[in-house]
Amino acid sequence: MKQIFLSLLLLTLIVTGVQAQKYVTKTGHIRFFSTTPMEDIEAHNRQVNAALDAQSGDLVFKAMMKSFQFEKALMQEHFNENYVESDKFPNSTFKGKIVNIKDVDFTKNGKYDVTIEGDLTIKDATRKIKEKGTLEINGDSVEGLSTFNILVADYNIKIPNAVANNIAKSIRIDVDVNFEKMAK
Amino acid sequence: MKKNWILILGSLAIIGVIAAILIYIFVYNKQQPDYSKANPDYTLNGEELFREFRNNPDAAAEKYNGKVLAIEGNLYSVESTDSLTIAVFAIEEGMFGDEGIRFAFIPEFASKIASTPPESLVTIKGYCTGFNDTDVIMEHCSLVE
Repeated sequence: MKQIFLSLLLLTLIVTGVQAQKYVTKTGHIRFFSTTPMEDIEAHNRQVNAALDAQSGDLVFKAMMKSFQFEKALMQEHFNENYVESDKFPNSTFKGKIVNIKDVDFTKNGKYDVTIEGDLTIKDATRKIKEKGTLEINGDSVEGLSTFNILVADYNIKIPNAVANNIAKSIRIDVDVNFEKMAK
Repeated sequence: MKKNWILILGSLAIIGVIAAILIYIFVYNKQQPDYSKANPDYTLNGEELFREFRNNPDAAAEKYNGKVLAIEGNLYSVESTDSLTIAVFAIEEGMFGDEGIRFAFIPEFASKIASTPPESLVTIKGYCTGFNDTDVIMEHCSLVE
Protein backbone atom coordinates (compact mmCIF):
# COMPACT_ATOMS: atom_id res chain seq x y z
CA MET A 1 0.00 0.00 0.00
CA LYS A 2 2.87 2.32 0.98
CA GLN A 3 4.54 1.47 -2.36
CA ILE A 4 1.45 2.47 -4.33
CA PHE A 5 1.10 5.67 -2.32
CA LEU A 6 4.71 6.66 -2.96
CA SER A 7 4.44 5.87 -6.67
CA LEU A 8 1.33 8.01 -6.90
CA LEU A 9 3.11 10.78 -5.03
CA LEU A 10 6.06 10.59 -7.42
CA LEU A 11 3.72 10.71 -10.41
CA THR A 12 1.68 13.51 -8.89
CA LEU A 13 4.83 15.48 -8.21
CA ILE A 14 5.84 15.17 -11.82
CA VAL A 15 2.46 15.61 -13.47
CA THR A 16 0.73 18.30 -11.42
CA GLY A 17 1.29 22.02 -11.75
CA VAL A 18 1.83 22.70 -15.42
CA GLN A 19 3.87 25.80 -14.63
CA ALA A 20 5.99 24.20 -11.92
CA GLN A 21 9.46 23.09 -12.94
CA LYS A 22 10.51 19.59 -11.92
CA TYR A 23 14.01 18.28 -11.46
CA VAL A 24 14.69 14.53 -11.45
CA THR A 25 17.51 12.05 -11.22
CA LYS A 26 17.90 8.29 -11.31
CA THR A 27 21.53 8.37 -10.18
CA GLY A 28 21.29 9.91 -6.74
CA HIS A 29 24.04 8.81 -4.36
CA ILE A 30 23.38 7.87 -0.75
CA ARG A 31 26.26 6.77 1.46
CA PHE A 32 25.97 5.58 5.01
CA PHE A 33 28.85 5.41 7.41
CA SER A 34 29.24 3.73 10.77
CA THR A 35 32.34 4.26 12.87
CA THR A 36 33.31 2.50 16.10
CA PRO A 37 36.68 1.81 17.74
CA MET A 38 36.39 -1.72 16.32
CA GLU A 39 35.84 -0.82 12.65
CA ASP A 40 34.43 1.57 10.07
CA ILE A 41 31.64 0.36 7.80
CA GLU A 42 30.31 2.21 4.77
CA ALA A 43 27.99 1.44 1.89
CA HIS A 44 27.01 3.28 -1.26
CA ASN A 45 23.86 3.32 -3.37
CA ARG A 46 24.36 5.20 -6.64
CA GLN A 47 21.04 4.42 -8.30
CA VAL A 48 18.61 6.41 -6.17
CA ASN A 49 15.49 7.94 -7.75
CA ALA A 50 14.68 11.47 -6.63
CA ALA A 51 12.40 14.29 -7.76
CA LEU A 52 12.18 17.94 -6.71
CA ASP A 53 9.42 20.43 -7.45
CA ALA A 54 11.06 23.85 -7.72
CA GLN A 55 7.85 25.69 -6.97
CA SER A 56 6.39 23.82 -4.00
CA GLY A 57 9.67 22.40 -2.71
CA ASP A 58 8.19 18.88 -2.64
CA LEU A 59 10.99 16.34 -2.54
CA VAL A 60 10.88 12.54 -2.81
CA PHE A 61 13.58 9.86 -2.76
CA LYS A 62 13.39 6.14 -3.31
CA ALA A 63 16.37 3.81 -2.77
CA MET A 64 16.53 0.05 -3.32
CA MET A 65 18.07 -1.53 -0.22
CA LYS A 66 19.86 -4.25 -2.18
CA SER A 67 21.61 -1.56 -4.22
CA PHE A 68 23.70 -0.55 -1.19
CA GLN A 69 27.17 -1.87 -1.96
CA PHE A 70 29.61 -2.79 0.81
CA GLU A 71 33.29 -3.57 0.52
CA LYS A 72 32.86 -6.90 2.28
CA ALA A 73 30.37 -9.52 1.15
CA LEU A 74 29.54 -10.69 4.67
CA MET A 75 28.57 -7.18 5.78
CA GLN A 76 26.27 -6.81 2.79
CA GLU A 77 24.72 -10.20 3.51
CA HIS A 78 24.09 -9.32 7.18
CA PHE A 79 22.74 -5.89 6.20
CA ASN A 80 20.22 -7.34 3.75
CA GLU A 81 19.23 -10.50 5.58
CA ASN A 82 19.39 -9.58 9.26
CA TYR A 83 19.34 -5.83 9.75
CA VAL A 84 17.08 -4.23 7.14
CA GLU A 85 15.39 -7.42 5.84
CA SER A 86 15.59 -6.30 2.22
CA ASP A 87 13.38 -9.09 0.89
CA LYS A 88 10.54 -7.94 3.12
CA PHE A 89 11.26 -4.19 2.89
CA PRO A 90 12.99 -3.67 -0.49
CA ASN A 91 12.96 0.17 -0.49
CA SER A 92 13.67 3.08 1.76
CA THR A 93 11.92 6.33 0.99
CA PHE A 94 11.83 9.97 1.90
CA LYS A 95 8.90 12.22 1.19
CA GLY A 96 8.83 15.77 2.34
CA LYS A 97 9.79 19.22 1.21
CA ILE A 98 12.34 21.96 1.22
CA VAL A 99 10.61 24.34 3.58
CA ASN A 100 12.47 27.47 2.46
CA ILE A 101 12.25 26.78 -1.29
CA LYS A 102 11.28 30.42 -1.86
CA ASP A 103 14.84 31.39 -0.86
CA VAL A 104 16.22 29.47 -3.84
CA ASP A 105 16.43 31.31 -7.15
CA PHE A 106 16.54 28.57 -9.78
CA THR A 107 17.34 31.15 -12.46
CA LYS A 108 20.52 32.33 -10.71
CA ASN A 109 23.60 30.12 -10.36
CA GLY A 110 24.85 29.75 -6.83
CA LYS A 111 24.71 27.75 -3.63
CA TYR A 112 21.71 28.06 -1.34
CA ASP A 113 21.22 26.79 2.21
CA VAL A 114 18.03 24.81 2.59
CA THR A 115 16.05 23.05 5.31
CA ILE A 116 14.50 19.70 4.45
CA GLU A 117 11.61 18.31 6.44
CA GLY A 118 9.63 15.13 5.95
CA ASP A 119 9.14 11.43 6.58
CA LEU A 120 12.01 8.98 6.26
CA THR A 121 10.94 5.35 5.98
CA ILE A 122 13.40 2.51 6.48
CA LYS A 123 12.13 -1.02 7.01
CA ASP A 124 8.73 -0.75 8.69
CA ALA A 125 9.44 2.48 10.56
CA THR A 126 8.71 6.05 9.49
CA ARG A 127 10.25 8.96 11.38
CA LYS A 128 9.95 12.71 10.89
CA ILE A 129 13.29 14.32 10.16
CA LYS A 130 14.35 17.94 9.76
CA GLU A 131 17.84 18.45 8.33
CA LYS A 132 20.05 21.10 6.76
CA GLY A 133 21.37 20.87 3.23
CA THR A 134 22.42 22.89 0.20
CA LEU A 135 21.17 23.28 -3.36
CA GLU A 136 23.71 24.43 -5.92
CA ILE A 137 22.19 25.79 -9.10
CA ASN A 138 24.24 25.52 -12.26
CA GLY A 139 22.09 26.20 -15.32
CA ASP A 140 19.63 23.34 -15.74
CA SER A 141 21.47 21.20 -13.15
CA VAL A 142 20.88 21.30 -9.43
CA GLU A 143 23.16 19.53 -6.98
CA GLY A 144 21.58 18.71 -3.64
CA LEU A 145 23.74 17.82 -0.63
CA SER A 146 22.85 16.89 2.91
CA THR A 147 24.54 15.08 5.76
CA PHE A 148 22.72 13.91 8.85
CA ASN A 149 22.61 11.13 11.42
CA ILE A 150 19.97 8.57 12.22
CA LEU A 151 19.67 6.19 15.15
CA VAL A 152 19.42 2.56 14.03
CA ALA A 153 17.05 1.83 16.93
CA ASP A 154 14.56 4.39 15.52
CA TYR A 155 14.06 2.19 12.45
CA ASN A 156 13.62 -1.16 14.22
CA ILE A 157 17.07 -2.32 13.12
CA LYS A 158 18.23 -4.83 15.70
CA ILE A 159 21.96 -5.41 16.01
CA PRO A 160 22.91 -8.73 17.64
CA ASN A 161 25.00 -8.48 20.84
CA ALA A 162 27.88 -10.33 19.16
CA VAL A 163 28.52 -7.40 16.78
CA ALA A 164 27.09 -4.58 18.89
CA ASN A 165 30.57 -3.08 19.35
CA ASN A 166 31.22 -3.12 15.59
CA ILE A 167 28.20 -1.10 14.49
CA ALA A 168 27.52 2.45 15.64
CA LYS A 169 24.18 3.28 17.23
CA SER A 170 24.12 6.48 15.21
CA ILE A 171 24.79 6.18 11.46
CA ARG A 172 25.88 9.09 9.29
CA ILE A 173 23.96 9.51 6.03
CA ASP A 174 25.45 11.53 3.15
CA VAL A 175 23.11 12.44 0.30
CA ASP A 176 24.43 13.76 -3.02
CA VAL A 177 21.99 14.15 -5.91
CA ASN A 178 22.49 15.81 -9.27
CA PHE A 179 19.06 16.78 -10.51
CA GLU A 180 18.41 17.61 -14.14
CA LYS A 181 15.57 19.83 -15.30
CA MET A 182 12.71 17.82 -16.79
CA ALA A 183 11.58 18.82 -20.27
CA LYS A 184 8.09 20.35 -20.05
CA MET B 1 52.15 -38.04 30.52
CA LYS B 2 52.61 -34.32 31.18
CA LYS B 3 54.43 -34.00 27.85
CA ASN B 4 51.42 -35.54 26.04
CA TRP B 5 49.05 -32.99 27.55
CA ILE B 6 51.31 -30.13 26.54
CA LEU B 7 51.44 -31.57 23.04
CA ILE B 8 47.62 -31.94 22.84
CA LEU B 9 46.97 -28.43 24.21
CA GLY B 10 49.62 -26.94 21.95
CA SER B 11 48.11 -28.65 18.91
CA LEU B 12 44.61 -27.45 19.83
CA ALA B 13 45.88 -23.89 20.25
CA ILE B 14 47.58 -23.99 16.84
CA ILE B 15 44.44 -25.44 15.20
CA GLY B 16 42.36 -22.70 16.90
CA VAL B 17 44.64 -19.95 15.62
CA ILE B 18 44.64 -21.40 12.09
CA ALA B 19 40.82 -21.73 12.19
CA ALA B 20 40.48 -18.09 13.36
CA ILE B 21 42.76 -16.87 10.55
CA LEU B 22 40.84 -18.89 7.93
CA ILE B 23 37.47 -17.62 9.22
CA TYR B 24 38.78 -14.04 9.09
CA ILE B 25 40.10 -14.41 5.54
CA PHE B 26 37.36 -16.52 3.95
CA VAL B 27 34.24 -15.55 5.91
CA TYR B 28 34.54 -12.21 7.70
CA ASN B 29 36.84 -10.55 5.20
CA LYS B 30 35.38 -12.21 2.09
CA GLN B 31 35.31 -9.73 -0.79
CA GLN B 32 32.34 -9.22 -3.11
CA PRO B 33 31.89 -12.06 -5.60
CA ASP B 34 32.99 -11.49 -9.19
CA TYR B 35 29.57 -11.42 -10.85
CA SER B 36 31.15 -11.36 -14.33
CA LYS B 37 32.17 -14.97 -13.72
CA ALA B 38 28.93 -16.09 -12.05
CA ASN B 39 26.53 -18.43 -13.79
CA PRO B 40 23.21 -16.66 -14.32
CA ASP B 41 20.19 -17.93 -12.40
CA TYR B 42 17.97 -16.75 -15.27
CA THR B 43 18.62 -15.83 -18.90
CA LEU B 44 15.82 -13.78 -20.41
CA ASN B 45 14.73 -10.96 -22.66
CA GLY B 46 14.74 -7.44 -21.21
CA GLU B 47 11.21 -6.58 -22.18
CA GLU B 48 9.93 -9.83 -20.71
CA LEU B 49 11.68 -9.08 -17.40
CA PHE B 50 10.39 -5.49 -17.28
CA ARG B 51 6.78 -6.60 -17.98
CA GLU B 52 6.99 -9.19 -15.21
CA PHE B 53 8.01 -6.49 -12.72
CA ARG B 54 5.48 -4.00 -14.07
CA ASN B 55 2.55 -6.45 -14.05
CA ASN B 56 3.26 -8.30 -10.84
CA PRO B 57 6.02 -6.58 -8.86
CA ASP B 58 5.77 -8.77 -5.75
CA ALA B 59 5.99 -12.07 -7.63
CA ALA B 60 8.82 -10.77 -9.83
CA ALA B 61 10.71 -9.44 -6.79
CA GLU B 62 10.48 -12.82 -5.10
CA LYS B 63 11.72 -14.54 -8.25
CA TYR B 64 14.52 -12.18 -9.36
CA ASN B 65 15.72 -9.94 -6.50
CA GLY B 66 19.16 -10.99 -5.33
CA LYS B 67 19.67 -13.25 -8.36
CA VAL B 68 22.21 -13.11 -11.19
CA LEU B 69 20.43 -12.44 -14.49
CA ALA B 70 21.65 -12.45 -18.10
CA ILE B 71 19.39 -10.06 -20.00
CA GLU B 72 19.22 -9.62 -23.74
CA GLY B 73 18.01 -6.42 -25.33
CA ASN B 74 18.78 -3.41 -27.48
CA LEU B 75 21.13 -0.91 -25.90
CA TYR B 76 19.35 2.44 -25.69
CA SER B 77 22.04 4.60 -24.09
CA VAL B 78 25.04 4.65 -21.78
CA GLU B 79 25.21 7.25 -19.00
CA SER B 80 28.58 8.00 -17.43
CA THR B 81 29.46 9.96 -14.31
CA ASP B 82 32.78 10.19 -12.45
CA SER B 83 32.25 6.94 -10.59
CA LEU B 84 29.54 5.15 -12.53
CA THR B 85 28.70 3.80 -15.97
CA ILE B 86 25.07 2.82 -16.51
CA ALA B 87 23.71 1.09 -19.61
CA VAL B 88 20.01 1.55 -20.27
CA PHE B 89 17.41 -0.60 -21.99
CA ALA B 90 14.44 1.75 -22.55
CA ILE B 91 11.23 -0.24 -22.64
CA GLU B 92 8.56 2.43 -22.32
CA GLU B 93 8.10 6.16 -21.92
CA GLY B 94 6.84 7.06 -18.46
CA MET B 95 6.28 10.15 -16.35
CA PHE B 96 9.89 9.89 -15.20
CA GLY B 97 11.25 9.83 -18.76
CA ASP B 98 12.47 6.55 -20.25
CA GLU B 99 11.72 3.53 -18.11
CA GLY B 100 13.22 0.09 -18.45
CA ILE B 101 16.32 -1.61 -17.11
CA ARG B 102 19.39 0.18 -15.72
CA PHE B 103 22.70 -1.69 -15.52
CA ALA B 104 25.52 -0.29 -13.32
CA PHE B 105 28.75 -1.65 -14.76
CA ILE B 106 31.80 -3.12 -13.05
CA PRO B 107 34.57 -0.55 -13.80
CA GLU B 108 36.69 -2.95 -15.93
CA PHE B 109 33.74 -3.56 -18.26
CA ALA B 110 32.68 0.11 -18.46
CA SER B 111 34.74 1.16 -21.47
CA LYS B 112 33.47 -1.77 -23.53
CA ILE B 113 29.81 -0.92 -23.00
CA ALA B 114 30.54 2.82 -23.43
CA SER B 115 31.94 2.11 -26.92
CA THR B 116 29.02 -0.12 -27.94
CA PRO B 117 26.78 1.69 -30.46
CA PRO B 118 23.18 2.43 -29.44
CA GLU B 119 20.58 -0.04 -30.75
CA SER B 120 23.13 -2.89 -30.63
CA LEU B 121 21.67 -6.19 -29.48
CA VAL B 122 23.59 -7.07 -26.32
CA THR B 123 23.39 -9.45 -23.38
CA ILE B 124 24.28 -7.98 -20.01
CA LYS B 125 24.81 -10.01 -16.88
CA GLY B 126 24.48 -8.65 -13.36
CA TYR B 127 22.91 -8.78 -9.92
CA CYS B 128 19.24 -7.77 -9.73
CA THR B 129 18.37 -5.51 -6.78
CA GLY B 130 14.72 -4.95 -7.70
CA PHE B 131 12.20 -2.62 -9.32
CA ASN B 132 11.75 0.98 -8.11
CA ASP B 133 8.43 1.60 -9.91
CA THR B 134 10.21 3.06 -12.94
CA ASP B 135 13.16 0.76 -13.67
CA VAL B 136 14.59 -2.66 -12.91
CA ILE B 137 17.93 -2.00 -11.19
CA MET B 138 20.97 -4.18 -11.91
CA GLU B 139 24.36 -3.89 -10.18
CA HIS B 140 27.84 -5.41 -10.81
CA CYS B 141 27.14 -5.73 -14.53
CA SER B 142 29.28 -6.98 -17.39
CA LEU B 143 28.83 -7.50 -21.10
CA VAL B 144 28.38 -11.15 -22.11
CA GLU B 145 30.49 -11.91 -25.19
